[in-house]
Amino acid sequence: MKDVLLVATLAAPLAFLAACFVRAWRPRALGLQFLAPAPGLAAGLLGLSGTPVSVSGLGFALRLDPPGALLLSFSALLWIVASAALWREKAPDARFGVCWLLTMIGSLGVFVAGDLVSFYLLYALVSLPAYGLFAFSDDPEKKRAGAVYLAFALAGEAVLLAAFALLAAGAPQGVGIAEVMAALPASPYRGAVLVLVVAGFGMKMGLVPFNGWMPLNYRAAPIPVAAVLSGAGVKAGVIGLLRFLPLGASMAEAGEALAILGFVTAFYGLAVGLTQRESKSILAYSSISQMGVIAAALGLGLAAADSGAAGDMAFYAANHLLVKAALFVTIGALAARQPLWALALAGALALSLAGLPLTGGALAKLASKAQFDAGWPKNLATLSSIGSAMLMTHFFTRLVSGDAAKDAATETPAALARLWPAVALGALLLPWLFADNPGEALKLDALWDGLWPVATGVALALVWRRLSVPQIPAGDSIVLYERGFARLMALGPAFERADANLRQWPAAGVSLLLIVLALLAAGLEQAAEKVPFR
Amino acid sequence: MTASPGGALLVFAVLTPVAGILLSFALGGRAAERITLALAPIGLALAGFIAFLVARSGAPLVYVIGGLPPPLGIALRADGASATMMVAAALIVPAAAFYARAKFATPDGVAESRGALTFWIMLQAIWAALNLIFLGADLFNLYVALELLTFAAVPLVCIDGRPETLAAALRYLLFALFGSISYLLGVALLYGGYGTLDIVLLGERIAATPLVWTAAALMTAGLLAKTALFPLHIWLPPAHANAPAAASAVLSGLVVKGSFFLTLRLWFYVLPALPMAAPAAILGTLGGCAALFGSILALRQPRLKLLVAYSTVAQIGYLFLVFPLASAPAGGALGWSGGFVQVLAHAFAKAAMFLSAGVLAEALGHDRIAHFSGAARALPLTFLTLGLGGLSLMGLPPSGGFEAKWLMLRACAASGQWIWAVPILGGGLLAGGYVYRILAPALADGVVEVKARPQLSRELVALGLVGVALALAFAPEGFFEFIQIGRPLAGGGAS
Repeated sequence: MKDVLLVATLAAPLAFLAACFVRAWRPRALGLQFLAPAPGLAAGLLGLSGTPVSVSGLGFALRLDPPGALLLSFSALLWIVASAALWREKAPDARFGVCWLLTMIGSLGVFVAGDLVSFYLLYALVSLPAYGLFAFSDDPEKKRAGAVYLAFALAGEAVLLAAFALLAAGAPQGVGIAEVMAALPASPYRGAVLVLVVAGFGMKMGLVPFNGWMPLNYRAAPIPVAAVLSGAGVKAGVIGLLRFLPLGASMAEAGEALAILGFVTAFYGLAVGLTQRESKSILAYSSISQMGVIAAALGLGLAAADSGAAGDMAFYAANHLLVKAALFVTIGALAARQPLWALALAGALALSLAGLPLTGGALAKLASKAQFDAGWPKNLATLSSIGSAMLMTHFFTRLVSGDAAKDAATETPAALARLWPAVALGALLLPWLFADNPGEALKLDALWDGLWPVATGVALALVWRRLSVPQIPAGDSIVLYERGFARLMALGPAFERADANLRQWPAAGVSLLLIVLALLAAGLEQAAEKVPFR
Repeated sequence: MTASPGGALLVFAVLTPVAGILLSFALGGRAAERITLALAPIGLALAGFIAFLVARSGAPLVYVIGGLPPPLGIALRADGASATMMVAAALIVPAAAFYARAKFATPDGVAESRGALTFWIMLQAIWAALNLIFLGADLFNLYVALELLTFAAVPLVCIDGRPETLAAALRYLLFALFGSISYLLGVALLYGGYGTLDIVLLGERIAATPLVWTAAALMTAGLLAKTALFPLHIWLPPAHANAPAAASAVLSGLVVKGSFFLTLRLWFYVLPALPMAAPAAILGTLGGCAALFGSILALRQPRLKLLVAYSTVAQIGYLFLVFPLASAPAGGALGWSGGFVQVLAHAFAKAAMFLSAGVLAEALGHDRIAHFSGAARALPLTFLTLGLGGLSLMGLPPSGGFEAKWLMLRACAASGQWIWAVPILGGGLLAGGYVYRILAPALADGVVEVKARPQLSRELVALGLVGVALALAFAPEGFFEFIQIGRPLAGGGAS
């Protein structure tokens, strides 16, 4: 049963995609595509416990294990809600629909990919077609966001291809993820693989210094798109780290380096986020910060040879998935009117990311406790909770002040806005059903541990409001990248001149002669060395 | 060397298009088109059957012409690599022919038109020459095939007689002649030294003497000139960008692969006794530079056909990475497979892209990328083909281009030759850039004026070709074993 559902996880959205190529079926296929993630949801729920299931065929392999299953079921749920709402009244055009389906296939698939090639394919699907969800436009800001997004996505693909080739080279027996990871601790390329894996997936997660694309992307994306990309899309990077860091093997230095990178990202995201004025940008920086926390926890897990870190961080990421998506919907839902109860709910949702007691965030915080158990990691984790509470309060005050993006209300399907209370409550409460021992989070000391950083953060944020801080442009470091890129582009004419010169007759003749001479020199040198030949 | 059962098929594979040419001359006009199209199923069946026989016996298929074995006579030989290339040619040439029907039909009321007759005859000549190149086992015989290939390809470039196409064709012809002379000099040296030109016999006898090195250098340089490897790409961009779309598809997809195939034959079959590290490094360096330089120039082209032509310059570069990778002591088999998958993926993807560029230029009346805004909505199938072809050029899955890069990178890792990963990955990124340049404006909002609705059948031909390029990603393990059949171990013994 599980294996059938596992195949259907990908087969169902693929079937909808195929139906889109028949013109007569296209409107119906797109309208009903909210059904496509259903098998994924079922597979995810069934796969939460028990032994991992594998299926393979056509050179591809799928594998479902509990951490992947948790992220799969939450992602599938998000895709169902977003698709249903979007096509119920907006009915976007076909190019958007096809990109949406492709991104969905990748987003669900990365959690169940069982070998390197499948993972690479599905990872490319969750990254590249997403361009079409926000950048098919003549608006210069959207075009810019799209170009920057694609540049990072492609660079990430190249880095990962190198990493995967090294992984495969270290494991001659096969390219299953389980096999290559078993061989990795003994592989001579261990260090290089680790650097490439962190860089590649770091580009997806927005780790410093690869964070600049994210605020541009979420600002340019309509709210339902921002919800699925920030919720489900970014988790492709998280599952990548979960799968390709050798968490069971002790690699103290590498682990600590990753932990430091993660904490730097966490605080960098908070600091820059606090200077932002646009709600979508603030949420983007909050995502950057949260992904930093996950990277830090995984780094510490790697340093301590703690293979349990994968399950813990999957839970942390799953909570972020729901909350961040719900927060984006909140921007749209509260753009028009803001009754008091809705503000209270929005506040709770926002502070869930800081670990407010009784929210799912409190459970996520508890799940990360094993990694941040003592010493400097514990202090930094507490500090990042305080910072998150500050940032989310900042978000809340921007939301209440009402100058959220003008189009927020029109971008959000009315059904989603109407159902927003259910979405928000779901994001707050659903994690309770999936936590290992939710009772822990209700103990008095846990409640206190959760409450005081949040209270401190809220208080600090109220002080922060009175300060006037200069605004850092959304995307911060991206400005530097763009300047460097422009400088590279300025080299173009020089290459054209070089080409024009090389394609002159005399130059081509000389080249031909030089090639002959170089080959001759190579041969005569070998002959002089008396290299023995067969 | 003795003939193997079924070897006579090899002769048929070469003679069928030759017979087609003679018949076309005799019957003229309209018949040439019909004969070319009729040859398609026959050629494909022959190539397929030869591949089947090679796969079944697991050994090369040999035919000795006139019963005289080398060194007196000459032989034809089909191994896994040649059979694969023949099948590719038997798919791409007919696809181009089918596509070209509308443009090169003999007009009503005329018995024969110059353009049409030339096109159909030259197309068959290219096919014959390619089959001879893939099957030939004698270096002089291969020289003849190489010349036939060039002389058949040049008229296709200037078939519509515009001044710039004539200039491009002349450039192509002259530079290719330099290449031929250089190659022929090398052949003469080898004949003087060993008294035979049979590839297998030479492979057994040759030792690393200054004479052999001189011959190798001359022949290689000549072949590189015909393959347009950077910095010898003097003729390729104008020739491929100005030829009619169907011709460009064959020129870019197949013709440059002919001389590349001979370079492979030369180093891995004729000269396995030479220590290959240094020449392989030279060829790999040129290839790596080509991949980066060609891609950068493709990024800057204002016209789609020029962009696709410069992309060919870049993709040819990847092919030459096979020399350092396949001759390495470790991972050689991976490198060889990667090189061949790259040959095939590029052949199909590039042919499809040139055909699509043709459809697009006819539909819009221009191929200026700056004016593509919204074009994908007007020509969805054509842009789907361009996008999928681009996917393969960028090396993203699922595509043959990805499979090739994946194999090549693993060969880099296995042999510790990290340096070649730089052009492989860097070229892919740059390819992403130029594919983005085509697709992003086309998919954006905007309206283009469609001058003529494209024929669905032509769009489908291109889509079918790109489908093959994608299907290579699903090639089973047996396919990689097949292309290794008959591959000698080079460079002092590689695995």
